[in-house]
Amino acid sequence: MITIDEITIVRDGREIIYDYSEQIPAGSITVIVGPNGCGKSTLLAAIAGDIAPDKGTITIDEMHPILTPASALASIRAMAVQNQSFTLGFTVREIVEMGGPSEDVLQALGLTEIADRLVTTLSGGESQRVAIAQAIAQKTPVLLLDEPLAGAGPEETEKLITLLRGLKSRYAVLLVEHDMQAVFALADRISVLAEGRIIASGSTADIRLSAEVRAAYLGEEEVPC
Amino acid sequence: MKKWLPGILLAAAFLTSLYVGATQIDNFWSALVNPGSNEILWQIRFPRVTAAVIVGAALGVAGLLAQGACNNAVAEPAILGTAAGASFGAVLAISSGVVQVGSLGAIASGTVGALLTTALTFRLASIRGSLSSFTLIIVGIAISAIFTSFVGIASAMASRSDARSISFWSLGSLALITADNLIGVAITTVIGIAIAYLIAPSLDRLSLGDSTAFHLGVNVSRIRLIALIALSVLAGGAVSTVGSIAFIGLAAPHIARFIYGPSHRLLVAHSAIIGGLIVVVADTLSRTIAQPNELPIGLATALLGAPVLIALVAFKNNVWRTQ
Repeated sequence: MITIDEITIVRDGREIIYDYSEQIPAGSITVIVGPNGCGKSTLLAAIAGDIAPDKGTITIDEMHPILTPASALASIRAMAVQNQSFTLGFTVREIVEMGGPSEDVLQALGLTEIADRLVTTLSGGESQRVAIAQAIAQKTPVLLLDEPLAGAGPEETEKLITLLRGLKSRYAVLLVEHDMQAVFALADRISVLAEGRIIASGSTADIRLSAEVRAAYLGEEEVPC
Repeated sequence: MKKWLPGILLAAAFLTSLYVGATQIDNFWSALVNPGSNEILWQIRFPRVTAAVIVGAALGVAGLLAQGACNNAVAEPAILGTAAGASFGAVLAISSGVVQVGSLGAIASGTVGALLTTALTFRLASIRGSLSSFTLIIVGIAISAIFTSFVGIASAMASRSDARSISFWSLGSLALITADNLIGVAITTVIGIAIAYLIAPSLDRLSLGDSTAFHLGVNVSRIRLIALIALSVLAGGAVSTVGSIAFIGLAAPHIARFIYGPSHRLLVAHSAIIGGLIVVVADTLSRTIAQPNELPIGLATALLGAPVLIALVAFKNNVWRTQ
């Protein structure tokens, strides 16, 4: 379980996240949505332990990420960053094995066929899937994913949604995503951020009906069903 | 075969280097299997060629650590200011009469100099916030130039002959190696290589960027510090004993990576072997092609290493993607 208690994150004198609270229980998928630059990735980085909140606390299973040694933290949370780049020519299998045993994960993400390819030759979508596979291979109770569907085609998106839904019984999954169609297909709970503040939080049905969300984020577009 | 080729070539180069020289060794094979039987072979050439292997291994692994810790394809002891710092530390201690050339004291002084200048490069490169490859290289080149000048000034002012010449400190020489001063550089090389082997899996993860390495459980700043200390010990030991030898730290890891892939556990051993091979060949050339004169070894390593490096960059490869 991830518990975020009234955190504020300030960067360059600007409040990126303000007074944010959230509880993400095990066995659920929570998606954070919001316009570009609203603080979604910063929030994910704070939960991962990359940065410290200026106020408030974050705990993952009673452990404070920012106070926990990197090796211990890697056994309770895994994170796949957006636009993972690869400079050295490891194979896909070697990269996934840096997270943990690879065979099941490679198969689940449809990477078996390219398992022996060098990661320096992959497309953006393939690289993203490899990063997700590496995070899943860590087999941690908490999984953090920054735009996991970026660069994926419709077929890949569908596969990833099925995979992530299949994972939720074992994990607390928190992800940042732009693709609203996918968000509604995936999420048990959605938090909508705008300028660092939560403007709505609830089930997919709640968010669909929220006039505030429509005005602030979805505009005049119809919320996909 | 690929697995053993550099080792086989190193053994062949080692024997050739023992055989070749200004003086012909009679009954070479017989002298070789009877230690101490031939003075030139056992008192001069054997320590020298062994030193070439050790120094090459040290510089090859130092380059690997520099590239791995900085996640930068062109990082190496000479670029980071490490080699110039090691020269300065050693020449200062030797010219002030505190230590002798090749002694453990000279090696310790070189290592401290290497450590301080490398730390200075990292500190100045990150003075405006995050550490970028570009600023690291630019600052490293500047620090290297400054300390190379200091070495020139210190060695010119030194009255002691064993402070050596600027040519020794900038281009290297194995001419004055003895069995005694081999021990110090052997110790620092073994220590540095052992540390490199232990942190190799973390260097693999560091290639994915600091953030992902941290997510995978790597304490990034600690690993970088350990790598910095190990590369300073390796370069400090080598440079304070034989002077600066160019291109080994850059060429050996790249050649090893091209043949064996990017896994740092494999690369530690193969960078050491290939580094040793290049220095043995370069030393053999440096003392034979202009007989009876001897060329500084740095000239030969640059001539051998630079074309190999150009070839690796010129031909498309996916071992290290630079853009």
